[in-house]
Amino acid sequence: MRPRAMELLKGLEPGDAVGLIAIAERLLLPAGSVLFKLGGEADCVYAIENGRISLSLPMQVGGREQEVLVEERTAGETVGWSALVPPHRFTLTAMTLIDSEVLAFPRAALLKHFGADPAVGLLVTRNVASVMGQRLQVLQAMWLREIQRVVQMTLASQSAAL
Amino acid sequence: MELFLMTLVLALLGVVVSGVLFAAAAGVNDPGATVTVRAPARAAAPARFFVDRAAAPPVPIDVVLLQIEQHVRLEQAAAEAFLHAPTRQSLHSRTMSPLVH
Repeated sequence: MRPRAMELLKGLEPGDAVGLIAIAERLLLPAGSVLFKLGGEADCVYAIENGRISLSLPMQVGGREQEVLVEERTAGETVGWSALVPPHRFTLTAMTLIDSEVLAFPRAALLKHFGADPAVGLLVTRNVASVMGQRLQVLQAMWLREIQRVVQMTLASQSAAL
Repeated sequence: MELFLMTLVLALLGVVVSGVLFAAAAGVNDPGATVTVRAPARAAAPARFFVDRAAAPPVPIDVVLLQIEQHVRLEQAAAEAFLHAPTRQSLHSRTMSPLVH
């Protein structure tokens, strides 16, 4: 995947993108690998180069706690932006669904890089803000659709009870 | 003596009237009456919700988890389609999710 096709690096000059990638560690993860866990210290932001990653939360299913898919992210997308947002704790668990390749950007190195090149810092921060905004809007829409169903089911059961 | 006889007759009359009233209330004065045995309320009630559920084979958890995953993927796609073209129709577009149908 071309660096500029990654949502985290969008808008960067090729040289700036290469410079930023230089501070990242490339991770090759077989299917089923846990990238990060709910509640864990968020030290890195991850850009998915190849593969597919599930973001899940624990839920009671059939009397047992199960990890349930909340979101799914693919090549070019970013996961783990909790590393850039206090209190720097992951609020989901990320696991590879297939063999995947990700770039791990350590927070400390990123902030140092941004300090040295504020223009790059601004662009990357805007990209992260854009990712967060889109995820929020998607989740708002998903939430409203579920609420709509709950309302319809409640009204239907109340009508049936009358 | 007359007073005694009058009291006795009234007492006997009272006993007879009470007996007749009791018999009428108990229904024993009607030899043709049939005894109706009410069916127990439980037998007349419809089948119970939880009994039916217990009798149904449980859905394997793996199947439920797959259905949830499919539901989330479909909902995420629908929500992303809404963001590309935000309208009331796209927000409430129908889903093929097995959890809804």
